[in-house]
Amino acid sequence: MRIVVAEDLFLLRDGMVRLVEAYGHQVVAAVDNGPAALEALLAHRPDVSIVDVRLPPAFSDEGLQAALTARRAVPGLPVLILSQHVEQLYARELLADGHGGIGYQLKDRVLDAGQFMDAVHRVADGGTALDPTVVAKLLGRPLRADPLAALTERERSVLALMAEGLSNAAIAGRLFLSEGSVSKYTTAIFAKLGLADDQDTNRRVRAVLAYLAVERGADPAP
Amino acid sequence: MGLTCPFALVAVPVGWAGSALAYSWSAGTTAAWPLRALAVFGETLLVAVWVAVAVWTVHPFTSRALAGAARRCAGRWLGLESAVVYREPKPVTRMATGFWWDGQEYHRSEREARRRARVHARFHDPQLHWDGVWVLAASVTVLPVAALPLLALVLGALLAADRPVSGAVLCAAGLAAAPFAWRVLGPVGRWLLGPVTSTRLGWRVAELEEIRADLTQTQAAELERIERGLHDGAQARLVALGMSMGAAEHLVDSNPEAAKRLLAEARANSAGALAELRALVRGINPPVLVERGLVDAVRALALDAVVEVDVVSRVPARPERPVEAALYFSVAELLTNAVKHAHADRVGVELSYAGRTLTASVSDDGIGGATAAPGSGLDGVRRRMAAFGGRLEIDSPTGGPTRVTVAVPCELS
Repeated sequence: MRIVVAEDLFLLRDGMVRLVEAYGHQVVAAVDNGPAALEALLAHRPDVSIVDVRLPPAFSDEGLQAALTARRAVPGLPVLILSQHVEQLYARELLADGHGGIGYQLKDRVLDAGQFMDAVHRVADGGTALDPTVVAKLLGRPLRADPLAALTERERSVLALMAEGLSNAAIAGRLFLSEGSVSKYTTAIFAKLGLADDQDTNRRVRAVLAYLAVERGADPAP
Repeated sequence: MGLTCPFALVAVPVGWAGSALAYSWSAGTTAAWPLRALAVFGETLLVAVWVAVAVWTVHPFTSRALAGAARRCAGRWLGLESAVVYREPKPVTRMATGFWWDGQEYHRSEREARRRARVHARFHDPQLHWDGVWVLAASVTVLPVAALPLLALVLGALLAADRPVSGAVLCAAGLAAAPFAWRVLGPVGRWLLGPVTSTRLGWRVAELEEIRADLTQTQAAELERIERGLHDGAQARLVALGMSMGAAEHLVDSNPEAAKRLLAEARANSAGALAELRALVRGINPPVLVERGLVDAVRALALDAVVEVDVVSRVPARPERPVEAALYFSVAELLTNAVKHAHADRVGVELSYAGRTLTASVSDDGIGGATAAPGSGLDGVRRRMAAFGGRLEIDSPTGGPTRVTVAVPCELS
């Protein structure tokens, strides 16, 4: 795959470049600031990009803004956002456009090379890879009159793992179920959330969107 | 008693002589009673004016010395220390015209200018007038109380001639009360013997000193917390990490399996250190606040809350950073209160900016009865706001609903 890396700390950038190259991918650009990141995303249209939220010059959320801007220009451009902290607020903004190809993970996940590369692949394939921390926060949310209230406990935990971007097989492994029963659960979830039967990946992303209740509190920041 | 009697010594004879003189004018008149009453009223008023003039004349020359003596006594007897500062004469300067300027007016000679500067500093000193207030107050509080035992003795001695029993009792009471009566100096002196605070500036200085003390305390506690967090958390974990790495290095040839285990442990340790650092950073300066500013930081808070929180914002830009952080932590505290203490199901946060004041109000449908008792979380919020010249308003009847508002004057960037 062709990959763009945007990270301001040299050590981390270098480490990430080496990691993805070790897995046989090609790094087409490695940049260290917001404007350059946006430029690289639009110029190279990489198969997947790994972007740090906080980048120079202002050290605000320039990486996130670059990713959002690039995805407005190129819908569904796969981006994996890395950060020292994960926020529901940012997760919602990233998912709000309804296209897949979004990852949002803690930087610590890079420590586990295998899992990290899994996430990179999932994002490149148009799926989602949300950090378990975000998902856990979502699970802790109070239930109101949202479609999620109709889900059973088991369905909710399947949906949570779906939000992390796991495949049915992986979910089956995680919950000690057979793959058949997992796909039964997913079908039930799609039905309860009223999701039409189109491409499975896309449907999974939309289920996660419903899970995030993106319409709540996703009004643009002033 | 001697310290507090001069005003009385001046006022009583003047009043007495004055009234004797004044009332003699209308004595013996046979006018209708309303006219007579009017005349008496006028005479009384005149006497009051005379007394005031007499006291006002004595005051500039005696008050400072009397208050100083009272301070020394209070310090010696009651350990009541009060340091006061009197105005210094302004330095005089020679003008190009040859005249001398004393800060108020011009004079022909330097000596005259210096004298006038001294007089001005002495007689236009707010501290002097405050001393006058002390002498006046003391002559109607400390003096009568302190004089009671003496009065009892004198009366007892006079009565002893024809009623020996009651006379002896009165004398005994006077003697018994003598060691205690003068102590009234304490409470009155605490109020009036200190430095002048009657000016608005004086009050403001006292307030600011309190705020500064608060701030330094808070800051010290905060630094201590951060230091402890780093020392016991991340630092200790990094040491453990280095140790596992060293052990793994040592074992990698002889026992690769054990080395692998150690390395996995080291990785878990580094993840733990990161998590601890993250929590610490969040407490110092929440990342969303840095990256996005107050409004989005409050939105992120609302999303993470365990109850439904609606955020409405009419703030067009980011405020100054210190104010922003203070407001953020205040709102965080208020949200926590609404969930934890008020057991609210719905919370609303409103942010607005008008008249160069940034206002955040948090309302909930909880049990109400919130107060800013000393040492409580709300008291902390009040102090945090006071440091920026802001205020805290609580409207929380028992049974709810509660609405707490914090407002800070600031500029938007």
